[in-house]
Amino acid sequence: MILNLERFQAQARPRWNNLESLLGVLESRPDRRLNPAEAQQLLELYAQTAADLNRVTHGALAPELRQYLERLVARAYAELYYAPPKRSEIWQPRRWFRIFTAFPESFRRQSRYFAIAVLVTALGCALGGLAVRYDPASVDVLLPADYLRNPGERVHEEEQGQGEHMKTAENEAVFSAELIRHNIQVALLAAALGVTFGIGTALLLFENGVLLGAVAVNYTRKGFGLFLSAWLLPHGVFEIPSILIAGQAGFYLARLLLHRRENRNVRESMREWLVLVAGLAMMLVWAGIMEAFFSQHHAPVFPYWFKVAVATAELVLLAIYLSLIGKRETSAEASGLPSESR
Amino acid sequence: MIDTQLSRASTAVELTIVTPEGVLFRLPLAGPASRLYAMLLDIVIVLGAVNGIGLLVYWIFAKLPGFGVMVITLAEFAIGFAYGALLEGFWNGQTIGKRLFHLRVIDQAGLPLRIEQAWVRNLMRVFDALPLAYLVGGASALSSPLMQRFGDRVAGTLVVRQTALAAPGEGNWTRQKYNSFMDYPSIAVNLRRAATPELASLIQEALRRRNELAAYTRRELYRELARYLQSEVSPFPDELVERLSDEQYLINASGILFGDQRPSRVQG
Repeated sequence: MILNLERFQAQARPRWNNLESLLGVLESRPDRRLNPAEAQQLLELYAQTAADLNRVTHGALAPELRQYLERLVARAYAELYYAPPKRSEIWQPRRWFRIFTAFPESFRRQSRYFAIAVLVTALGCALGGLAVRYDPASVDVLLPADYLRNPGERVHEEEQGQGEHMKTAENEAVFSAELIRHNIQVALLAAALGVTFGIGTALLLFENGVLLGAVAVNYTRKGFGLFLSAWLLPHGVFEIPSILIAGQAGFYLARLLLHRRENRNVRESMREWLVLVAGLAMMLVWAGIMEAFFSQHHAPVFPYWFKVAVATAELVLLAIYLSLIGKRETSAEASGLPSESR
Repeated sequence: MIDTQLSRASTAVELTIVTPEGVLFRLPLAGPASRLYAMLLDIVIVLGAVNGIGLLVYWIFAKLPGFGVMVITLAEFAIGFAYGALLEGFWNGQTIGKRLFHLRVIDQAGLPLRIEQAWVRNLMRVFDALPLAYLVGGASALSSPLMQRFGDRVAGTLVVRQTALAAPGEGNWTRQKYNSFMDYPSIAVNLRRAATPELASLIQEALRRRNELAAYTRRELYRELARYLQSEVSPFPDELVERLSDEQYLINASGILFGDQRPSRVQG
């Protein structure tokens, strides 16, 4: 049936105008809530306009009118099928504090991916450590910076207090901000590299592991094990687990993308990834502060046993936080979640 | 609600959505150039904001510049991600740059994007920006049928062009009371049956745009259409056609096709 566009437009224009003004009102409303009368009106106008669009699509060659109706239908469709977040909930501080319990909960739900991250890093550590142990010359290849290759000089400098005059609180503040930024960036990359089906995440963790293993063996071999522990652990007990959690998020993302078609609750899964990323970012803020303000002060400013004790206390607290805080899931609850940890 | 996998068919320039009611509509996708411009503008805005905040922070921390630098470094980093995520999440899928370039981020099911999606697509920038100047993201967008960078693929979002359209104006072609084609009802009915909607709309558009066409083009176009109708679709008697201009021929034909003047004598 050939459509008489002129007459058709004259008849239909009032309802298009009505729909347009209703959408204008709804879209300008911040919470985008509908009252029952508006919902009814929107539904009717949407159905009529959609039918008009169908008639124009099949009964006439009127590209401009078709485009106009398509936009109108798209806007109405978005209003009808989109449940907006409740603004009142968004601004509740209690909701924001939820992250402190949501993070360990997500961590435990996806613990299988954490185990993979630990495994990959441990493999890297073993490779780096063994390489330095049996082939000390490999230090030059594996370790990028001079101070990592020659621990003796570094320890001597630090213990003599050379550079101590540089360690003003202000310099340390600048240093900590740079560390936080850099570490979060690297961790975020590890989490984002999940899109490479986890290969990028694995490579990054492995490389990190090699470096860690090589440094640890290099320092220990030359008898600076205690110095190294006191130097790295106060921030490392947060920094290393947070990179592992970044790996966990990366592997979780990879799994999510591989099984996208089966996953019915993509939104919930995305939130899980975001919670892990937010949690590790908080950990890295703490690690950055510790690294700049505490780790860089060696004996005699802080005795080594004291630094190692602080690190141990931090580790215990972190372990308690990650394993005990938040809801303990029963298996029945867990089955309702989009986790792949079972 | 809807199955995005099944109901989404796409071409290089638009996203086609089939709603649960079976209505089909298309949304035009944003091209890489306009997205790039919007992003550059957003970068300028973020840098401006960071520098503005920086001046304020330096002033507050005038006696402790080190802490000022710390605050600025962290603020710059946080604003870089939060600017896009919060604006897109709470401002209808648009940053300031996107709004100025008439772009909008939406869910790939045609719905507004959610705050989680806004955060995911903005955090994924660390990957899309690799190795420099968004090469990974750009390559991903160019190779994707829906122009999605990796952040969009993960978050299930895409960027569409958002231009407000007004309903086209009323047709203003000549109306007439008398139509000589009505004197030949059987041929007129034949014309109605044989003309496709495309041909009918073509005639209508040609008449509607009468004043937009150059005189020569109009003459040639009308002649071609009238000849085609006369020879291929429904030949009216020569003695009638000879008396009509090509334009009048098309006006008569349009009157028959669009039903304003039905050949009622046939039906009666």
